[in-house]
Order: sequence, then structure tokens, then C-alpha cells
Amino acid sequence: MSTKKITLRVIAMSLAAAMLLVTAAFAPAIAGESKEIVYWNIGTESPDKEYYQYSVDQFNANTQSGYTVSAVSIQNDVYKEKLIIAMSSGEAPDVYSSWSGGPMIEYIEAGFAQDIDDKVKASPIYPKLMDAAWAQATYKGRIHAVPIMNISISGVFYNKEMFDKYGIAVPTTVTELESACDTLVANGIIPFALANASKWTGSMYFMSLATRYGGLAPFQAAADGSGSFEDASYVYAGEKIQDWVKKGYFPEGVNSLSEDDGQAKQLMYQEAAAMLLCGSWYAGTFLADSPEFYQKIGWFSFPKVDGSDADTSIQIGTTGDQFLQLNCTGEKLDAAFEFVSYFSNDDSIELLAGSNKIPATKNADTFEWDPVSKLILEACMNASATQLWYDQYLPPAVAEVHKDTSQELFGLTMTPEEANAKLQEAMQAYLNK
Amino acid sequence: MATARRSTLRLQRQSQTWTAAAVFLAPVMILLVVYIAYPIVNSFQISALKWNGISAERTFIGLANWKQLAADRGFWLAFRNNISIMVLSVLVQLPIGLALATFLDFGGRRLNVFKVLWFVPLLMSSVAVGFLFRYALATNGGIISTISKVFGGRNVDLLGSPAKALYTVIGVICWQFVPFYMVYFMAAYTGMSFDIYEAATIDGATRGQYFWRIALPLLAPSIKSAAILSMVGSLKYFDLIYVMTGGGPGTATEIMATYMYRYSFKNFNMGYGSTIACGMFILITVIALATMRLINQGGDRA
Repeated sequence: MSTKKITLRVIAMSLAAAMLLVTAAFAPAIAGESKEIVYWNIGTESPDKEYYQYSVDQFNANTQSGYTVSAVSIQNDVYKEKLIIAMSSGEAPDVYSSWSGGPMIEYIEAGFAQDIDDKVKASPIYPKLMDAAWAQATYKGRIHAVPIMNISISGVFYNKEMFDKYGIAVPTTVTELESACDTLVANGIIPFALANASKWTGSMYFMSLATRYGGLAPFQAAADGSGSFEDASYVYAGEKIQDWVKKGYFPEGVNSLSEDDGQAKQLMYQEAAAMLLCGSWYAGTFLADSPEFYQKIGWFSFPKVDGSDADTSIQIGTTGDQFLQLNCTGEKLDAAFEFVSYFSNDDSIELLAGSNKIPATKNADTFEWDPVSKLILEACMNASATQLWYDQYLPPAVAEVHKDTSQELFGLTMTPEEANAKLQEAMQAYLNK
Repeated sequence: MATARRSTLRLQRQSQTWTAAAVFLAPVMILLVVYIAYPIVNSFQISALKWNGISAERTFIGLANWKQLAADRGFWLAFRNNISIMVLSVLVQLPIGLALATFLDFGGRRLNVFKVLWFVPLLMSSVAVGFLFRYALATNGGIISTISKVFGGRNVDLLGSPAKALYTVIGVICWQFVPFYMVYFMAAYTGMSFDIYEAATIDGATRGQYFWRIALPLLAPSIKSAAILSMVGSLKYFDLIYVMTGGGPGTATEIMATYMYRYSFKNFNMGYGSTIACGMFILITVIALATMRLINQGGDRA
């Protein structure tokens, strides 16, 4: 045999072996129906970790279904990417959480979430949870997910001592808020602690200003294509943000500070900043970090825009922080549904409330709350409507543009008109798809 | 008879050699096919689809994604950032790496401390380097800001300012990779015979003359391959930038790889994400091949 021929044979053999391996690796695993329910969550840190684990343990100890749940905890930032990769390679978990909104719709439309409307309505957890929570889990009129965890709404946390020291009253209008900020700036205090490298943090200001200016309607119209992000509400929000940046209401280098590294709350702890506009989960964060500091904290809902008749009881946020989708059928689906119901039993809810998180249950007001949480709960209960976070509600591709343009607003690198036009362009591209 | 036996033996030995070669080659071949060849082919296939990455529904749309890519301002902006990183990386990393290697080579064993110290950045993972510098360069309380304040200045915003963020990131990339080129050139120096240096000194060459007239020309092949390594590395860069800025603020530090990541995994558009990846593949291959040819031509003439 000539050398050349042998060389060819060697290469051919290795190639064949390699191809065989490829085929083997990518062929769908043909395994029997397993009795294991794989549950993916983001509970890598206390207190959420304990809350998830509690329901898992309870189910595994008490179920008659013959199934067991194995929980996989994945760090929040990489969770969504891992989930997408798992879904595309046919390894999707049986139960997994989302934050509802755009991504949940993608999962449902791709066939990774069962319609559980009938199951839910026949189950005792249906009357227990708030209607707004179920509304958020509904897709085309049918419930597709089970809400768990806490309510989160956006609002302003403020340092009461500082407000007293400089004689500032809790603002009820944006003009009062601005004069409070001016007083703080004059005294060398940063009015708002904000870490906007994370992008969604700055979106809080955009959403709050736009919603207080025009209510819910402009956003709904923009999102379904009958309106536009170039509406007056968004022009107002963009202009106010830039005005505030120019007046020094935000920390220097706001777009370089990272929320994940806690650079916003550090400004609060150093008492370099007086206010923080963010989700109400911060009540739990402050308490967990420093109970003494938490004593100094007060809370108010974002104030009214002068001259606007928009309903100020509207809150921005989410009723139930996590939504569990079930991705299995038959007996396994029954068992999975039994499992997710454990998150809403009385002990679980009590555990959640005990970690200072407001559960999305109708009996949320029967627990004992500290003054800050009480204010937040009241705002939730009195809300005529809750607007889901823009970056969760919008289709993912549009949400990314929204986060970028709101960061550009804070960086003064785009005018409000340019930013809104870019957002509208992305929305239009999605609607035309 | 004897010759015939000898030839059978030779054939036998040859065949054994080839079997052994096949056995030793197979693992590498398998890895290459599974992790390099197959994904490349597959990416090109996906680039012709409209697919969100998770759904069973995949629509064939031919070259629509490619047309979009050609007209996508965001992609070409990212490409331009890649080119800035590439040019500055080559211009900064290679000379500094070479200077450090030369210094260590002249200094000999006395300078082993520096050898170890300067090597440290390369030992850290990119993600760790990214986090480290995110803290160190923080506008509020970071090292640079604090130094500036000591001298009565203001806070310095490096990563949050669109004008400075890219250059800041490039600086960090250089900090991380200069040691690599230092080691690379040190190895090249080791490969040069000591006789050459001796001969040069006997002929009365100064150290400067030795470096410019003798060492540098001898190092040319290493410098060429280092330049290509650095170029290709800069074009496919991802991790450090993703950790430090995520492509922000706005799109100031967006590069091709972060742009691809954004489309594939955040925007639910795997089809277009794959097109970006394939576009990167083509651009990088073309640039690398063109550079190689250009450099080698220069070498022939010299």
C-alpha cells in the first residue's frame, strides 16, 4: 500500500469515527419516561434559596405521585441564556421560571409551556393568589404559568434623617421632588443613587415619568402598534431625565456604576445619596444588609406630574416575581402541577413573608409588616392597575433597544427625540415581522 | 527470498506505524470535527433560517439575514470598534512585550523577580481581570478617581463615558496580554544562539546596535506571528469586554462578538446571531490571510 493511500485511509477513518460521534452526540436522547421532575430556578442566594428548597422538600416528602423533584439553581445573570441553550438542544427542564412578559410569550409560542388554565381554575391556589398575578400569567386568555414569590413595585426609598436635616417633606409632585433635589445638591448630597451600567435601573426613571405623565394608555398603544414611543409621555420622560442629569441629580459616571456590584446601595449606605428609585425588593435588601440602616429608610410612590390627570395609583412592577412554566405532559404534568402548588401553601407563604417579601396572595395584609413594607403593600392594594416593567413586557429584541436608549439618555449621547425614534423603529420592526 | 521478507517486514512496520498514527490522530480529529468543523457548517446553515433559537419552527429565508447584515449599521460599528482594538493592540502590546523581553534578556537572572511579577496578569482569567478593573476604575471610589481627588481633581469617569470607554477597555486588554507577548519574545530570544551575541560584542557592537541590527531582524518571524495572533485575538475578543461594559455605555464598546451574543441569546434571534457569527468568521479569515500574505511578501523582499 502506498503511503498516500494509507494517509487517506487514516484520515477517512478518523473522519468517519468523528462523524459517528457527532451523530451520536446530537441525536435526541431516547430515554424512557423518567420519574424525575427537573426544576430550574435562580435561587442561589438567601432568602430565596430557602423558599424554593422548602417547597421542593415538602413535595418530595409528601407526594403520592411517585415523582421526585430535583432542583437546579442557576445564577440569575446566566439563567436566561442557559435556558435558551437547553431549549434549543432538547434538554429543556420540566419546570422552570420566567419573569412573564415578552420572554414568557416566546417560550409559550415555542411550545415549552403547557396551557394549564383548567388545572389552575380547579385548584385551591387559584382563589388564593391575587387576580393581577394570574393576569400576568395569562397568554391569549389562558393561564400558562403559576406565579410565585413576591410582589415588586417601583418606588422611591429615601433617607429620613437626611430629609429631616435639610427640612425636606415627602414630595407629592415632580416639582416638589425637583426642589427637594435642588436642596440636596446645594448641600453636596447626590439626590438619586443610581447604577446604570445595568441599564434596566435607569429604565425605572423612564417608566415612572412616562406613566405619571400619561398613564397606562400611551404604553399599551405603543406596544400594540396603535400608538408610538414618540408620544408626548416619552418626550417628557426623556427630557426630564436629561434635565436631571444636567442638574447633577445622579452620581457622576452613572453609566459606569454597576447594580450587580451594589454600587447604588453603597451610595445610600455611605450617605452620599439620599434617594433610590427601584423595585420594592430593596426593602428586603436593606434589611438583610443592615437592620440599623433600614430604620432610617422611608418610601414613597413616584409623585404626580404637575398638571397631568394621569391616575397616580397606577404602580409599575410585577405581581409575583417568578412565573413557573410546566414543560411536560400526562401524569408528569399532574405531578409537576402538584409540585408548583406547594409554593402557595400557607407555610411557604409565611416563610416568604418572614423574609420581608410581600407575597402575591390575597391575604398579604394579614402578616405583620414594618412601616416601609406596609407603605409598599398599601400602594399595591390600592393600585388601579399595575404596569409590568417595560423591559419584561416588551418583546426581547425591543426591550434591549429600550434599555440601550435609556442608557444613552442618561449619558446625554442621544436627544430624547432620537432615543424615542430609535425605540419606535425597533417596535415597528417587531410588529412588521 | 530475503529481500521479499524484508519488504514484507517493512510493509508490516509501515502499516503498524500508520495504525498507531490513526489511533493518536483520532482524538484530535474527533475534537476538531465536533467542536470546530461541525459548528462552523451548522452556523452557516442556521444563518439561512428565521429561527428564534428555541422553537421547533425554523423557516428557510435564504440570504435575507445576510442582506440585513450587510446593511446593519450596528454590526459595522462593532466591526470598527474591533478594528480599533486590533490596531491599538498590535501597536501597544507588541512593542511593550518586546521591550520587556529585551530588558529581561539583557538583565539575565538578576531580574527573575520582574519576570514573575510581569507574568502575573496573564495568570488571571479574563473574567477576574474584568471584575478587578470594573472596581478599580469605578467612578466613585475607584483607584483613578481617588488619586485624582488626592490631587484636588474630580472623579474620573472612564467606563461610563462613551468617548473614553473603548480606550479604557483597550488599556485593560493590553495590560492583560503584554505578558503573553513578553513570554513569547523571551522564548524567541532563548532560541537565538548566545554565540551571535558573543560574536557581536567581540566585533565591538554596543547593546543598542546588537538589538537593532542583529536581534530585531532575527526576531522578525516571531514578531510576524505575534502580530497575526494579536490581530485575530482582537477581532474575536469577547469575555473581558462583556464583563467590564457589556458593550455599553449605549453601544460605545460593542464589538462583533458581543453583538452576536446579544442577538442570539437576548433578542431571541438565533438565525441572525448565526449570520453575525459567520460574518465574523469570514471577516477574520480574510483579514488574517491578507495580513499573512502581506507580511510574508515583505519578508521575501527583505
